[in-house]
Amino acid sequence: MRDEGGGRARVGITDYAQDALGDVVYVDVPEVGTRVTASQPFSEVESTKSVSDVFSPVTGTLVERNALLDERPELVNDQPYGDGWLAVIEMTDPSELDALMDAAAYRAFVEQAEKH
Amino acid sequence: MTRRTPLEAEHRALGAKLGPFAGWTMPIEYGGTLSEHRAVRERVGLFDLTHLGKVEVTGPGALDLLQRILTNDLSRVQPGRARYNLVLNDAGGVEEDLIVYRLADERWFVVPNAANTDKVVAMLREPGRAEVVHHDDWCFLGVQGPRSLEVVGALFPESADLSFMSCLETRYGGERLVLTRSGYTGELGYELFAHDSLAGALWSALMAAGEPFQIEPCGLGARDVLRLEMGYPLYGQDLLPDRTPLEAGLRWAVAFEKGEFRGREALERQLREGIPSRLRGIVMEDRRHIPRPHYPVFADGSKAGSVTSGSFSPLRQRGIALAYLSPADGFEPGRPVEVDVRGRRGPARIAAPPFVDRSPR
Repeated sequence: MRDEGGGRARVGITDYAQDALGDVVYVDVPEVGTRVTASQPFSEVESTKSVSDVFSPVTGTLVERNALLDERPELVNDQPYGDGWLAVIEMTDPSELDALMDAAAYRAFVEQAEKH
Repeated sequence: MTRRTPLEAEHRALGAKLGPFAGWTMPIEYGGTLSEHRAVRERVGLFDLTHLGKVEVTGPGALDLLQRILTNDLSRVQPGRARYNLVLNDAGGVEEDLIVYRLADERWFVVPNAANTDKVVAMLREPGRAEVVHHDDWCFLGVQGPRSLEVVGALFPESADLSFMSCLETRYGGERLVLTRSGYTGELGYELFAHDSLAGALWSALMAAGEPFQIEPCGLGARDVLRLEMGYPLYGQDLLPDRTPLEAGLRWAVAFEKGEFRGREALERQLREGIPSRLRGIVMEDRRHIPRPHYPVFADGSKAGSVTSGSFSPLRQRGIALAYLSPADGFEPGRPVEVDVRGRRGPARIAAPPFVDRSPR
C-alpha cells in the first residue's frame, strides 16, 4: 500500500504474497464507489492453483480500480509495487495508516512467519 | 516425516517451490505454472515424478494375479506394450488407476499413484502368486512435450522406435533403466525409471540435451493443469471409491469379457439398474469465472452435481472443470449449465474432453 496523499491510499498485494500465490490468472476488483472496510476482504486474486481474498488495509471508498488487470492479471506477479496495483481507496480516517506495518516491519514479520 | 526425492538439491538449485504431496516433498513449481505449461505444450519439460510407485511383478502367476485385481485385459497386451487399468472395490468404486507395462512375457511393471502404492503392493503380495518387487529406491523422470523425442533420443537412440504406450528396458551408467512412451500431459512424452543413484546424472543429462529446445523443469502444479486440459481424471479428486468407472466414463478400461475381477459384479448390477451420474467436462463462458473442486453445478435451476477438478486453462483462456452430474444421460456436449463460483452463477457449457486439441500419439 502506498500513501498517495490527500487521504488516498493505493492498494495492492506484496511481493511476498504474489510469490506465494503463484501465477495470477484473474483479479476481481470491485467497481468504483464500493465501500471497503479495514481487515475485510474487498478483492479476489485467482492463481493457477487457488483463489485468495485480498483484505483491505483501510476503511473508505474505492475511487479508482486498475482496469489493466482485466486483460493482464500477470501484472500482479510482475510488478506488485508498480502496474500490478489493485485499487485506490479514499480513506474515511487517514490516521488508520499509522497502525499499519511499514516495509521493514513487514519483512521482519514475514521472516518470523517463515520460521514457523 | 515426509519422503524426499533424490533430486531435492537439483530442485532447490533451480529455485523450485517444494511442497507436500501424498507424503512426499516434491517440486510444485519453478519458474511458474504458466511458463512450465507453455514449455510442455510448445517445446519440452522435465518432471521429477519419483513420488509415484514403481512395482515389478514377475513369474508364471503374474498375469493371473493382475487379471483378477485390475479391470483391463492384460492377456491382450504384448511384451513391450502398456495399458491403463483400474483397481476397484467390491462396490465397483475406483480404488486406484495405474498403467501396467509388460516388460517381458512374465514380467510386468506397475506404476501406482503415490498415495496408493502401499495399498497396491499389499494386494499384489498375495502369498505365492508372483514375485513382487517394490522399487522404493528408484527415481522416476518424465520428459513431455513436442521436442521430447529429440531430448530423450540424445541419451537413448532406441526411444525413436517406441510407439505410444510402449516400453523397453535399456541401461544407463551400467544400471537398468525402464523407458516408456507415456505421460499425463497430452503431449508426446517419455517416462524413465531407474535406481536413485542415477537420478542426478539423468536429470543433468536430460537438462543438457534439452538446452537447445529451452527445456524447463516442471512441477506438479503445471502437471495438474496439463492433465486437466486433456480431461484426464485424477485419483482422489475425479476417481473416488464411491464412484464407478461407468460413472467416470472409463468403461473402455474395463474388460468384462476377460472373466472375474474385483468389482465386476457391482458394475454389472449398475449396468442393469442404471448409472446414477456421469463425469462431464465443463467450459466456463466468462474468463472471470474459474471453477474449483466442490463448487456446485446447476442445470435448469437445480443442482446437478459438483466440480471434482477445476482450473484455468491457459490454452483455452477459460475455466475448465470435471464434475459428476446427474442424471447420467442428461448432459450432452453443448448443454448450458451454471457453476456456483463463490455465490455467483457462472454460465458454462458441457464439453467432451479433451478441452484442448492435443494428442500424445
